[in-house]
Amino acid sequence: MRIGILKAYIRKELSELLRSRLIIMVYLLPTMLMLLFGYGIRMEVTHARIAIIDNDQSRLSNLLVGKFEHSKYFDVTTTVMDEDEALRKIKQAQSDAIIIIPASFEKRLLKGQTTQIGVYVDAAFPSRGSTMESYVQGVILNAASALIPSAPKGSIVINQRTLFNQAMRDEDAIVPGLIGLVLLVAPAIIAALLIVKEKERGTIFNFYASPLSKAEFIAAKLIPVFLLHSINIFILLLWALYLFEVPFRGSFWIYWLASELYILVSISIGILISVITRTQIVAVVLTVMVTIIPGFMYSGIIMPISSMVGMSRYEAHVFPVMYYNHILYDVFLVGEGLTSQKTQLYLVILAVYVVILLSLGTLWLRKEIR
Amino acid sequence: MNRIFWSIVGKELIGFIRSWQLVLVVLYMFSVEVYIAGSGIEINPRNVAVGYVDGTAGGLSQKILTHLHGPEFLAPRRFNSQRELSRAIFDKEIIVGLVFDADFEKKWRQNKSAQLDILMDATAASQAYTTLNYLQHIVLDISKVNIPVDIVTHKLFNQNADNHTFMALTELLSIITMLSIILTAVVFVREKEQGTWDLMLLMPVNPKVIILAKSFSQIIVVMTGIVISLGFVVLGIFNVPVNGSLSAFLLLSFFFVFAGSGIGLFIAAVARDVMQVAQLSIVVMMPLIFLSGAWTPIYAMHPALQYLSYISPLRYYIEGSESIFYRGTEWIDLWPYFMGVISVGGVMYWIGFRKIGRLF
Repeated sequence: MRIGILKAYIRKELSELLRSRLIIMVYLLPTMLMLLFGYGIRMEVTHARIAIIDNDQSRLSNLLVGKFEHSKYFDVTTTVMDEDEALRKIKQAQSDAIIIIPASFEKRLLKGQTTQIGVYVDAAFPSRGSTMESYVQGVILNAASALIPSAPKGSIVINQRTLFNQAMRDEDAIVPGLIGLVLLVAPAIIAALLIVKEKERGTIFNFYASPLSKAEFIAAKLIPVFLLHSINIFILLLWALYLFEVPFRGSFWIYWLASELYILVSISIGILISVITRTQIVAVVLTVMVTIIPGFMYSGIIMPISSMVGMSRYEAHVFPVMYYNHILYDVFLVGEGLTSQKTQLYLVILAVYVVILLSLGTLWLRKEIR
Repeated sequence: MNRIFWSIVGKELIGFIRSWQLVLVVLYMFSVEVYIAGSGIEINPRNVAVGYVDGTAGGLSQKILTHLHGPEFLAPRRFNSQRELSRAIFDKEIIVGLVFDADFEKKWRQNKSAQLDILMDATAASQAYTTLNYLQHIVLDISKVNIPVDIVTHKLFNQNADNHTFMALTELLSIITMLSIILTAVVFVREKEQGTWDLMLLMPVNPKVIILAKSFSQIIVVMTGIVISLGFVVLGIFNVPVNGSLSAFLLLSFFFVFAGSGIGLFIAAVARDVMQVAQLSIVVMMPLIFLSGAWTPIYAMHPALQYLSYISPLRYYIEGSESIFYRGTEWIDLWPYFMGVISVGGVMYWIGFRKIGRLF
């Protein structure tokens, strides 16, 4: 590595990046994604539209309907219609669930006989269906056990303590994961085009003919993007802390170190793609494929890695987002820091990623016409 | 006119096939990616890792633990102390921890209320909610509380709340969105970058025909991918139920891909090179994909975003596809989705069409 040459090349790359309108996008893109997703992604199901068919119209059935109306999870419409009509409403996606209270509801309850409440849930979106089902059951069971006069003998009380996210705020669970997603997508997409663009335009011959070594070339491509994106680490942190009010329990230095490493990983992915592809379109599609959906799926936002099975479990371990997000959640919500061996291990893994990806990129980069 | 149209379509298709890398990547996305998403991703609590610390002799506690079985839970792992358990939760190896105190069973036998401590990793919020609900059921069951209400739940259209078919479909829809936007945008911008686009517009051929033909060629590519993916993966491997009409889905897809290429046209009109296309399409695509209701529910979103989602053609496409595949909705009840996709997509295509066709 000859520092003087490197400096000159970096200056050329940097001024090329700054000259295009790109510079706004470098900072606009992560922030926009963060804001949109931070407000947009909610895992709990609220305002599920349920229709209650109250065939009883008694005091107890009204009580039950009232319980649903007071829950923030449901938007209730009480109607009298037959089941076929209700089913059609679900088919038209105008209603998410139907609860049918039978005609003899109160009478049977007062006599101590068992009554049936029919619940129909639209499970076309499976996870939403199961969540709604458990909410509905929870409301009914709660209402029912309040009606039972004496507490049963030998009961078990569940004392639940949620760790890391005591208020069960969705923001706390999602925003750290978003940083991992955004910092994977944004740097990779820029880096992915840097080399392949020269190939398509033919300016790569300048490099073929120049005395620049392969490592120097890659370093010159990598460093400007790295510098530009390093600022995003702090911008995203500020959004998380002051807009979404996510607690920060760990060490800032670990956050910084891990994020810089992660950006390097992301850029290296982009550079590797840029080296192996021949046209820009392939590079764009490939980058989108390996960053956007895996970045979201394996970020831990929608499901923990420990629950995955089969191929996707392996895929989750291949993608770097899992390791970075573990550190992120630790830094934001847990605060174990370097005392946890897993954090140490994952930092090392991120560094190993950088080394492997960059050496592959240098290895496969050609410096002559094929 | 007709001959010009088809020769441009043919030229673009040949150009697509010549780039073997591109063909390979597109095929991979439509097959393997859909397969991976469908085979392993599970949003419902499945394989939730449970750990426990048992201070009792183990009668009642074991009885509770036997209720935690597959497919929802992995076999509970025993820890010797609460410290070890917390450490495992911190390291995300365990999601739910149960702590049975030494006097847990004694209290229960003495008809006092016994306390079961549960530690949950709430960063996996949806899993935590549902697991808690599960445990409450189990405990109610064991303590023999007799509630005179019988809840009969029917999950319509997808009895087991099977996630595989759903995830495969979600992934397919996401991929369709991405490819229809990017492929169209790049086909135009590449010409812009090489400087041939201005020549195209100046040729004695109606520029509208050129634009239509170029975008139509990419629509053909994506539609072919859809058919392949449907045949081999979605229907072939995952056996997604087709309660509605498959031709309705294909027709809806066609209109949606049209809408997507409209967005692509717009991006191509704004961008100057492929780099800008990449950045712009990510800004447009990611909100489209993740906020249109496929990955996360719309009803819980910020109200402003809920209104915004009405201008996303993907929103109508997703709901329409779910209705066709699972709910088995009839043609006549599908009109809102067709209307949505066609009107939003039509407007987008028209804007893009106007913008890219202008020379100056």
